[in-house]
Order: sequence, then structure tokens, then C-alpha cells
Amino acid sequence: MPSAMPPPNASSTTDKSKTHKLALKGSSKTVVEFFDYACNTILFQRGVYPPEDFATVKKYGLNMMTSCDDQVKAYIKKIMSQLSRWMQKAKISKLVIVITSKETGEHVERWQFDVNVFQDPSKQTHSTTTGDKENSALQQPTPDSTKSDDDVQKEIQALFRQVTASVTMLPMLDGNCTFNVLVYADADSEVPLEWGDSDAKEIRNAENVKLRSFSTNSHRIDTVVSYRLAD
Amino acid sequence: MATLSVATPSKCRDSIFSTRFAGGRAPLASSPKTPRTQVVPQDAGVQTESIHHSNVNLMSCFSRSVSKTNVHLGISDFALTGTGPRPSTAISAKNTPSRPRLGRAGSVHRTPKRTQSKVNYTAADRYIPNRSASEAISTSGAAVKLDNNEQTPGRRPKSSASSDGSAVLAASAASAFDFGRPHSSSNDTTVTLSFEGLNLHERNEDDDEDAPKTKASPNTMAYQQSVAEACGVSIKQRILAYKPAAPESSRPIDLRSQYNRPLKPAAASASQFRRRVLTAPERVLDAPGLVDDYYLNLLDWSSGNQVAIGLERNVYVWSAESGTVASLLECPADTYISSVKWSGDGAYVAAGLGTGEVQIWDVEDGTKLRSMYGHDTRVSVMGWNKHILSTGARSGLVYNHDVRIAQHKIAELVSHTSEVCGLEWRADGSQLATGGNDNLVSIWDARQLNAPKFQKTNHKAAIKALAWCPWQSNLLATGGGSHDRHIHFWNTTSGARVNSIDTGSQVTSLRWSLAYKELVSSSGFPDNSLSIWSYPTLVKNIEIPAHESRVLHSALSPDGQMLATAAADESLKFWKVFEKKAGMANLAGAGGSASTKGLTKANTIR
Repeated sequence: MPSAMPPPNASSTTDKSKTHKLALKGSSKTVVEFFDYACNTILFQRGVYPPEDFATVKKYGLNMMTSCDDQVKAYIKKIMSQLSRWMQKAKISKLVIVITSKETGEHVERWQFDVNVFQDPSKQTHSTTTGDKENSALQQPTPDSTKSDDDVQKEIQALFRQVTASVTMLPMLDGNCTFNVLVYADADSEVPLEWGDSDAKEIRNAENVKLRSFSTNSHRIDTVVSYRLAD
Repeated sequence: MATLSVATPSKCRDSIFSTRFAGGRAPLASSPKTPRTQVVPQDAGVQTESIHHSNVNLMSCFSRSVSKTNVHLGISDFALTGTGPRPSTAISAKNTPSRPRLGRAGSVHRTPKRTQSKVNYTAADRYIPNRSASEAISTSGAAVKLDNNEQTPGRRPKSSASSDGSAVLAASAASAFDFGRPHSSSNDTTVTLSFEGLNLHERNEDDDEDAPKTKASPNTMAYQQSVAEACGVSIKQRILAYKPAAPESSRPIDLRSQYNRPLKPAAASASQFRRRVLTAPERVLDAPGLVDDYYLNLLDWSSGNQVAIGLERNVYVWSAESGTVASLLECPADTYISSVKWSGDGAYVAAGLGTGEVQIWDVEDGTKLRSMYGHDTRVSVMGWNKHILSTGARSGLVYNHDVRIAQHKIAELVSHTSEVCGLEWRADGSQLATGGNDNLVSIWDARQLNAPKFQKTNHKAAIKALAWCPWQSNLLATGGGSHDRHIHFWNTTSGARVNSIDTGSQVTSLRWSLAYKELVSSSGFPDNSLSIWSYPTLVKNIEIPAHESRVLHSALSPDGQMLATAAADESLKFWKVFEKKAGMANLAGAGGSASTKGLTKANTIR
């Protein structure tokens, strides 16, 4: 018996980890894609770039604005490709888009997306090494482990509607703004040359508004926008 | 255990300390209340103990510490001491290395120990462990990794064996146990000890992570962590920023115009800023026989308020003041008028002919002053700079003529390879801009005419429309033909393109307003309109559907208010597009008369 047991055990666990890995990868893709659109939407809605620079694309059942300026496109693409690398290794806990005034250098608006990974892959491997089925079963449960793509899309759509609507409540930005992308990564992440340590670029005297969240099978994204209160 | 009784715990000690004394360490600890002399003999007694004995001590202590305090703490404190008749050295050797660990742990239980080690600290500076030493040991493998609490007692003897019995690794719970052992090399032991401490900490802190092999020293780590904790930041996380700066926005954006209805007059001023422009022509004249040729320049308005227009073979002069028309000249039947230009003072008209001949006429007298030959193709564009007349021909050549002298040709400007159809002198006469059918804009320095200062290839069609900004002397606007449809703005000092407009139709002429920061462009196919643009915002203020067919030429009145346009529909229309409010001053000089003023000024300077 003992000799017969390990093989099935091992195979089942590796299968599990494999499906999990795939799920994480697929979910990461969804999340990074969301970040891409979120970034574009914020740049458009907050007037970081002129509206002529944007084109409409059908996505999430909405007309999404994406930049058609080559430089901006390339800039965002570079960020997103690195982000997807990190996401697939579940190294990211936050993505932040900070809008900064060019005149004063003050941070005026901060869009923060908190990334929660339901299953920590390192934990997963931990449980496979011990080979403890009970433990792994305990770690498995996620709120709704079988969420259809449609549901995810709907949640994202609702979130984008809210982002668009939030423009009416956010204070006016005075035109000349630029933006930065921050990432909260694990200390042991690989960091390419273009990325460097930074402060949190928090806004002084900020008001925070929590927006909707959405979740995939492996990720949950919470959105918070902070903005400077009027003096 | 006999030592227990010897070391009478002082009153202030808590339970941990009493366990420590149970391990026979009390004398060594040499609390301030314990006489020093007592310490040595006690220590010596322990020194003779075997490893097993120490084990027993450890175990007993261990079990107690488990019950009373947390196990973690007890384990993380390992003291390695050399045995031998030098108790003070042994003590210091053992205590000093443990210090970094203490600093790091920062728990209540350790604090007493630290004070103790300080008390004991006498002679052994050299035993303070350093990182390199501990690393060396770790590679040599002499030290034992302590995996967890339970393994500690079992493993310890092994390490002592490896150090050949001369050095013993002693484990103590909350530094309760110190085993004085005779040792030959105290260095070794210290080093091993410090290594043990390192190992432990790695184990304790990085359970979930696969910790890197080389780590910062415990001190650094401890410091970092305490700082991080104090700041409420997790040391396991980094905030990374994408360092390259985001691309510049092509222009500032006013979100108000996008989302918000203007609430304040300040915001409303944006819409109010749009000036009212009369969209109906002031006057319409017939211009029968106007040649429908984009490349010709047949309309000009003088500083003396007279309009000259070339209609087939005739040049007519219409006086804007009296409204009378007079035929100035008629050219031979085998050719036609290809260009007309008033001199700066408004006294003379230069007329270019299809043959390449250039005639200069005195308007008041109605007499021809001279003919200048040189071009063998039609002269489609001309420009005056004081006494110098520049003529551009179909061949692509531009000649400068000094009209006062017999040998009139003073310069040949070679740059264009196809018909020159646009030519404009800067108001101060220091630069000349030419545009050609070769899609080239050339900017010349008046002092250096052998080659253009800049050649601009951005346009994709012929450039007929050229205009120098009246209030910023190095700003040039150029408009391209039907395949280009753009107006480009140039800094003619640096050669940089500073702005662009896509007008959507062929640009046939450009005129800057003298009073407003605006310029008007006339267009050919498909709009046949006049457009007024604000500069530098490049907002189109208004588009006037001006003619039924393409607008070919335009000319601005000397007061800068009125624009005359001639179109292929053979009409000449006058538009009051830059109507002045009372008391409004021009942006630069005083319109058409400015050129004459500039002339006299320039003359007096020289």
C-alpha cells in the first residue's frame, strides 16, 4: 500500500498545480489586459493626452478609448509586457497610476489597483512537497472557483462604467499633467533596468474613494482612486 | 544542578533568570549583584563537565523555557564557549557574538541578557564576530545548521566533535546556559557560534521564502526590519516605478471643454474668445479672364491702398478709396501676366510675364520704367525688399534684381528644381522664404544667398502660400497644395517646425492678421473657403464659404482689416475679416505703411 500510494498522489498534485498554473496565467492575462485598458481610459478621461489621440475600441461591451499615439502606445505596451511577466509569477500586489501636475510636480491623482491572488503558488508548492492532501484541500477553496468569462467581463464593464462616471466627481485637473506607473512587487522579483525603486507617490491631504472590484478565478482587483482635496 | 543552590537568584530576577541559574550559569553571568570572585570557581566547576552534562542542562532549561516563554527565543540563543582556565575570556567570547542576535530579536526576554554580556565584557574585543569569518566557516562546513528547535540538542555534540573537542558549541535557552569549555582556538569557536546565530535567524524569519544564500548581516537586516516596521512598510515588498518619463502631451488639454459646462466667466471666456467675424463680403467685383492657375500670383494690395490684379494680358489697378478702376498695362498678345507685385512704397508695380520678362511700372504716371530680362520661363512669383525685386520662375530659379542699376541681376538663388510659386521677404528684409512645385520650402539668409539656410521637405505638394508672422519675426507659415493640405509653422532661426494644421483642403494663400493673433488661409478644392485660425492655439475660429470655385489669391489691405480674394469663379471679393475695434493697436507696426516706415528707418540707420 505505501508503495502504491505515492505515485497517484504525486500525479494528482502535479496535475493540480498545472491547472492552477494555467488558471493563473489566463487570469493574469485578463488582469493585465484590464490594466492596459484602465491605463488608457484614465489617460483619456483625465485629459493627460488630448482626446484626438484616442480611438474607440469595442471591449467589455463598451466603447473603450485607447491611445493611437505611437509613443504613448509603446510606453504603455512596455509597462504591460513587464507587468504580465510579474503577474504570472504572482509578484505584484498593487498597480498604481499616479497623475502629476507638470507645473508644480505635485501628485494630484492616484489610481490604485490592489491585486489579490487567491492561491499563492509558493504555498501551493509547499503543500505538494508535504504531500498532504488535507492541507491542499484546505487551501483550495476560493469564493467562486468557477467563474465564467462573461461574469468577469460584466464585472470589469461595471468597473469601467464607474471609472468613467467618477470623472464627474473628481476635481478638475488643470490640463498640463503627466503620469507615472508604480508597482508594488515582492522584494525578490526580478527588476528590469527600466524599473527602479520609488516612493509611494502618495497625495497629500487626499480623499480616497473606493470603486468597484472585480475578480477572476485567481485574482481579485480592488480599485481605489485618491485625489487632492480642494484647498 | 548543584550549581543551582550556589547561585542564589537575586530578588529582581524573573523566572527566566532563575532557569538560567538552574543551568549553572549564574556565576558566569556575573550580575552586578554577584561578586566576581565567586564567578570564577563556579565556572571552573562547570568546565569539567562533559558535553552530556551540558546537554542535560540544556534540556532541562529547554523544557522550562518551552513551558514559560516561547521556544523560539530559547533556541535562537546559542552560546559557544571555549573551556579552559580563562573564564573571563570564555565568557566574553561567548557573549559578544550573541549580541547581534540580541539586537535583532528585540524581545523582552533578551534584554536582561544583553545587560549581562555588557557586564562581562572585559577583554575580548577580538572575539567580536565579523561576517567574513562566519561565511568562511559556513563554506568549510564545520558548523551545523540548526533546522529547528527539536533538533538542536541532538546536533550540538556533532559540532563540538567537528571542532575536535577543543571547542564546544553550547546551546542555551535565553542564554541561560553557558558552558565553559577548554579550547585551543577561541577564534574558531566564536566564529562557529556566530554562524549558528545566522543560521537560526534565517530559519526563523524566512520560513515561507527560499532565502538567498548570501544575506545581509543580521545587524543590517535587523536594522532594516525595525525601520520598516516603524514606517509601517513591509520589507518583503518594493515599490517600483517605471522610470522612463511618459511621452509629452502634444498640447495642453482643458478638461472643461470635454466634460464640464463652463461655470465661471473665466471658463466661459474660451467660447467668448471666438471673435465675431463678418461672413458676408463687403464688396464683390468681377474679375473677368482671371487665369485659373494655382502657380500664378495675380493679386496684390499696395500700401497706398490700391489693388492690382492681373487679368490675362492686362493689369488693372482698383483704388480702394475712390473705387475707380484703371488699366495699367497690357502685355503683348503672345503672352500673359503671370504675377503682379506692388513695391513697398506703393508707387510701382512689378509685372511678371509668361515670357520671363519683368516690367516695372510707375502707377501714378502710368508709364513703364524698365523691363528686366533674365528668366526664360514665366515669372510666377515676385517679392520686393526695398529696392531689390526677387523673381521666381517656372525653371525653379530665383533672381534678385536691383531695380536701380542697369546690371540689375545681383543674385541667383538656386534651390528649387521645379516652378517657384511662393516667395516672401521677411518684413526686416533679412530672410527670404520660397516655396516651389518640388514640395520644398527654402529659407534664405539675405546675406548668404548661395545656398538656402534651411530646406524643408515636410510638405507633400507645391507650396504657394507663405506668410511671415508680423509679431514674431522668425515665425513663418507655409501652406501646401492639394496633396498636402497642411499649414506648417517654422522657427526660421532654428529651422524647427513648431506647429502644424491639417486644413483638409488645398492651401492657396496665407495672411497673418496685423491686429489679432490669427491668420487666414484661403483654400482651393474642396472647400473654396476662407478659414481663420488662432495662433498658437490653432483653433479654427471660423470658416467662411467664400467662393464657388477655388480661391486663388488673397491680399490684405494696408490697415490689415480687409482681405481681398480672387477666385477661379472670376470674381474679386473683399472681406472684413479682421475688423478692428475702436482704439485697437496693431500687433506690429502699422500695417501696410509699416513697410515704408521700416524702409525709411533702415535707410537712416545706414
